[in-house]
Amino acid sequence: MSKIMTVDILSSIKGAQPSEAVNKLFDVIKNANSNNTSINTNHNHVVSLNNLRKDEVINSSSIEKQIIIENFPKEKKGYLVVSKVIEE
Amino acid sequence: MESQIHKIHQQLVNKEITCTRLVQDRLNLLKENTYNTVNSLLDQQALKLANKVDAKIAKGETIGLLEGIPFGIKDVYMVQGTLTTASSDILKNYKSPYTATAIQKLLDAGAIPLVKENCDSFGHGSSSENTIFGAVKNAVNSNLVGGGSSGGSAVNVAKDYTVFSIGGDTGGSIRQPAGYNNVYGFKPTYGRVSRFGLIAYASSTDCVGPIAKSTEDIRIVLNAISGKDEKDQTTFHSDAISKERSLKTIAIKTVGYFKNFVENDALDHQIKTDFLAYLEKIKKTGVEVKELEFFESDTLVSTYYTLAMAETASNLSRLDGTNYGERLEAENLKDTYAITRSENFSEESKRRIVGGNQLLSQGFSDEIYLKGLNIRDQISNNFEKDFKEVDIILSPVTPATPPKIGDSLKDPLTMYLSDAYTVGFSLGELPTLTVPKGTSTGLQISAAKKNDELVLQFANFLNDLI
Repeated sequence: MSKIMTVDILSSIKGAQPSEAVNKLFDVIKNANSNNTSINTNHNHVVSLNNLRKDEVINSSSIEKQIIIENFPKEKKGYLVVSKVIEE
Repeated sequence: MESQIHKIHQQLVNKEITCTRLVQDRLNLLKENTYNTVNSLLDQQALKLANKVDAKIAKGETIGLLEGIPFGIKDVYMVQGTLTTASSDILKNYKSPYTATAIQKLLDAGAIPLVKENCDSFGHGSSSENTIFGAVKNAVNSNLVGGGSSGGSAVNVAKDYTVFSIGGDTGGSIRQPAGYNNVYGFKPTYGRVSRFGLIAYASSTDCVGPIAKSTEDIRIVLNAISGKDEKDQTTFHSDAISKERSLKTIAIKTVGYFKNFVENDALDHQIKTDFLAYLEKIKKTGVEVKELEFFESDTLVSTYYTLAMAETASNLSRLDGTNYGERLEAENLKDTYAITRSENFSEESKRRIVGGNQLLSQGFSDEIYLKGLNIRDQISNNFEKDFKEVDIILSPVTPATPPKIGDSLKDPLTMYLSDAYTVGFSLGELPTLTVPKGTSTGLQISAAKKNDELVLQFANFLNDLI
């Protein structure tokens, strides 16, 4: 298997190519002010690790479970069908 | 404009109207409307709830302020048992298994949801044209776009189809359509309102907020939906803003504006003239007006889209047709993923997903993504510095008036750049309100993080300006 992952593979979108409009936005960042561009950010926008919710399993309600099953794309004889997995 | 919520509440209490009539009338308006604002109507549930409110009133029981008030929901919020499509093909038949926290709070307060509202697919757009339900038309001129991504929500409020609507704002998606349709739209401080049950676009700037016709209605709804939620770890506790406090305008002494926003060549001449004239009006009240330096518009837009695309590529990677959503079967698992996603995402969503994966990949992430994060920190630091000098920052909402339907889809870069005045405040996580005053697409009022009250106070101060 090739080690180069193109954007169509990374995105799981057939034939996807980088867009010119989006590349123009990225160019602005590449060329943005270089006097303060250390990658050590202040992390102003991260979540505090204090006061996290408890790591415990909470059962969904029966209606929630029923809708989750209803949303499943394919069913056969009472089983939920997934695509065939092939190993490369 | 006076508070619609207080007015309708009084009419219900005085038995001038029944809740069933009120809800049925609004449902009829929504059903017949030609502005493409409706993805699905919640008519049966709404009428059932209205009936309960009427029964309560008939028994002489007290009803809460929001009880019986009809509202709309952007179609990116889960409401158990209803379709939540994100205006997309991939989720066109997806049913919400649970209810979003913000919506649950409104249901608990007795408000009645009428409609899931049209929007740009997954919030990807600034015009509400990127949707499988047809472009949302502007409430003032139906040849123009309704704005986006919460276009259906803003138009429904502007046309009085809903009393208020709950929009979602990642880079301006509440504030810009509010400006385009002459209503109020508020993006609270990031974390004030839980995002649980909102289909994620860019999680680090996604905000839940109200669109309404008065600052008082914004205040009432904001209080109802705010609060810490253990299902969203970024939320924080906030005190309710009382009506009395929101009317106290004496706290505002200094207002700032960004010089480079006003000097931007892309700014419409009339919007610029009106904005500057409005600043003069404010100066005459004795409030000091200060010029501030800020990042260039293209840097703001590029930073925002860099981070938003990276986050949306990650958030939408779960949509592969395996457990839910439309699945297109192919030879094997990988092809099933690829064909499902290729056929069911819009061009704009694919552009953003591909952009996100491109910049997160090896070689690009240091050069672009991490640099984008760094610029975001610089933007936040700039705001912190500014709010030591001024109480409020005032800016135009958009550089131009709403485009014609069809124009934005042809030119994505121009569409991205049209977000120049809204995205900075998103990156800074600041509370920011669009008020339909000052320019043809309104004004934006921002305050320091968690100072949502000051934004409402300043909006009320502007309400008193002749």
